[in-house]
Amino acid sequence: MDRRTFVKGSAALVGAATLPTVHAQAQAAPTKLRFGYAITLSGPLAPGADSTTVSNYKLWNKVVNDAGGIMLKKFNKKVPVEMVAYDDQGKPDELLKLVERLIQQDKVDMVLSPYATHMNLAAAPIVNKAEYPVIMTTATTNKTYDLGPRWPYAFWNISQPIESTEPLAKALAELKKQGKIKGRCATVHPAIEYGVEMNKAFLDEAKKAGLEVVTTKTYPFGSSDLQPVIREVMATNPDAFLAFSYPPDTFMLTEQAQIVGFNPQLMYVAIGGVFPSYKGKFGNKVNGILAYGGADPAAPGMAEYAKAHKALLNRDYEAGGVQVYAALQFTQQAIEQVGEIDRKKIRGVMGGSTFKTIWGDMRFVKQLNANPWSVSQWQNGELVAIAPTNKPGAKPLQFPKPAWS
Amino acid sequence: MILFEVFLNGLLLGGTYGLIALGLNLQYGVARILNLSYGEFFMGGAFTAFFTIMLWKFNPLLSLFISMPIAFAINWLIYQFLMIPLVRRAPDQDVLDADVVLVTFGLFFVFQGLALVNWSGDLRGYSFLSTGVPLFGATVALNRVLAFFGACAIAFALFLLLRYTRFGTALRAITIDPVAASLVGVDVRKFSALAFAGGGALAAASGMLVSTFISFSSTIGVEYTLKALIVVIMAGVGRVTGTLAAGLLLGVVESLGGYLIDPGLTIAINFGLFMLILLLRPTGLFTRA
Repeated sequence: MDRRTFVKGSAALVGAATLPTVHAQAQAAPTKLRFGYAITLSGPLAPGADSTTVSNYKLWNKVVNDAGGIMLKKFNKKVPVEMVAYDDQGKPDELLKLVERLIQQDKVDMVLSPYATHMNLAAAPIVNKAEYPVIMTTATTNKTYDLGPRWPYAFWNISQPIESTEPLAKALAELKKQGKIKGRCATVHPAIEYGVEMNKAFLDEAKKAGLEVVTTKTYPFGSSDLQPVIREVMATNPDAFLAFSYPPDTFMLTEQAQIVGFNPQLMYVAIGGVFPSYKGKFGNKVNGILAYGGADPAAPGMAEYAKAHKALLNRDYEAGGVQVYAALQFTQQAIEQVGEIDRKKIRGVMGGSTFKTIWGDMRFVKQLNANPWSVSQWQNGELVAIAPTNKPGAKPLQFPKPAWS
Repeated sequence: MILFEVFLNGLLLGGTYGLIALGLNLQYGVARILNLSYGEFFMGGAFTAFFTIMLWKFNPLLSLFISMPIAFAINWLIYQFLMIPLVRRAPDQDVLDADVVLVTFGLFFVFQGLALVNWSGDLRGYSFLSTGVPLFGATVALNRVLAFFGACAIAFALFLLLRYTRFGTALRAITIDPVAASLVGVDVRKFSALAFAGGGALAAASGMLVSTFISFSSTIGVEYTLKALIVVIMAGVGRVTGTLAAGLLLGVVESLGGYLIDPGLTIAINFGLFMLILLLRPTGLFTRA
């Protein structure tokens, strides 16, 4: 056992708060901070994990170390960050073992979020038990609403089903009030938890807003042909077409809607709609399409982020991953405010403070991000954030979506 | 009218299934190698097409001139240097199958890993012939029509090759009985290597054709290995036209079932049909009993 681990171990045992002065003398500044994560690097979820999460971990790690590291004011010293990464192979049980290992064996200073809703949910009780504050960056589920009080060390960064669908229903109700549409909505979703919950949330919000949902179609995740689904939706002649979809079907629905000439006045796709490759495939036909999540490309710091992303990873940033980078910026500022790795204090700061990030001013209320970007739209070939409408940087909705040309 | 369109699209989808399975059937039927890294060459073909149109701004069909020879060469090398030692030391086909599955499973990880390192895990897609064309009053996607005719052309060419050439006769002889074939003077090793390599090249070709209407990433290969495997087992090992027919059947049943019963059931219908065929005709639909 080296000196640092010993000091840290004893600090954890005795409790740093009880004997602060004695420990301050005993502790030398750490030579590095170790951030650990277990994430899906192989299997079907690996592409998403790589593009949204891992790439941003790597980028942040480089940016923070290029600046000398994280400032620990207790030692008046900048300390560089080292990442410890494991592959959970997309298996929740593997993830749990690895997170335990990061905490118990590797004794990392901080733990970072895994990828995908069910994996975030699986990791949350473990990090909570070990009292490691973690911002979970890729979980969208109704379950997060009541998990706050149960797992105080887990924070939830992205827009949840209600916040994601309410702006859509409100915008449609407004268009109906203006007499621009009749308020007929058609929804489709893959038969997976995310699709089911988002769809359910939208149906509730649509009802409240006085909209008529004319049809809802479910299809299996991984379908090879969605043209029949689109045909059935088309037959109901809706004003708005909302797909609570995952990346492969987001792409397929968009392509097949063009093939059969389905031109709803408003079209929403969920995950994948903000990917650079979505624009890469469809070009300017993406204009007017709404999508889940996103970021404000004009926010302070975004230009530098985009440049650094391109330089390190040789590809454009994914708007859905901006929040992952922001979560790290937030965590870094919380650590710097505390000035040392005292996870109880860091948790306290994270739970109540507002920090500036490239995803806007970030603050957590009951561990849920108070104001995450929830809906974005492709406007003139660029993805802009449009909801929450009161968040600085939000652009107005462009309506109607131009017909496929 | 919609029903007819659903049927047509099922036919096109089925053609795709057949196309994906043709190369695997060549590898499994003639060379007797169950290649679990098959889908990686499909993935390679898709990526080559992607780079050809997005990076170099050429027609993605031209990528076939790059991806097919490369896939052919790599598969030939795999057969000569990895499979031959296994074939030599295996006392019977069962042992060989087990060894081959392990080795090609390893290869699958190697190829996928290489792709992930070089091309990242990003989802890719491009637009090529993604317009609707009217066909007997229904609308079908031009890129799916292209893949369908690609499948038919390849199946027809293979059929002619196997049926009417000396080389094809030798391949058929190996399919039926490799030992007897070698006794009558067929160079089993050379011809098996060519069949295996040709199967790999077909995987790349199918990857190119299918990539025109799907989105894909470095990890997509295994999904298509599985799809191909189902079709091959349904059709019967070594049956070329049967492979195409089995693919068509699968596509049409999937589409009609999805439309008439429920789209949520398409995958269940696929596997239901698969199980039914396994139960009733375990050697495949198109093998003579």
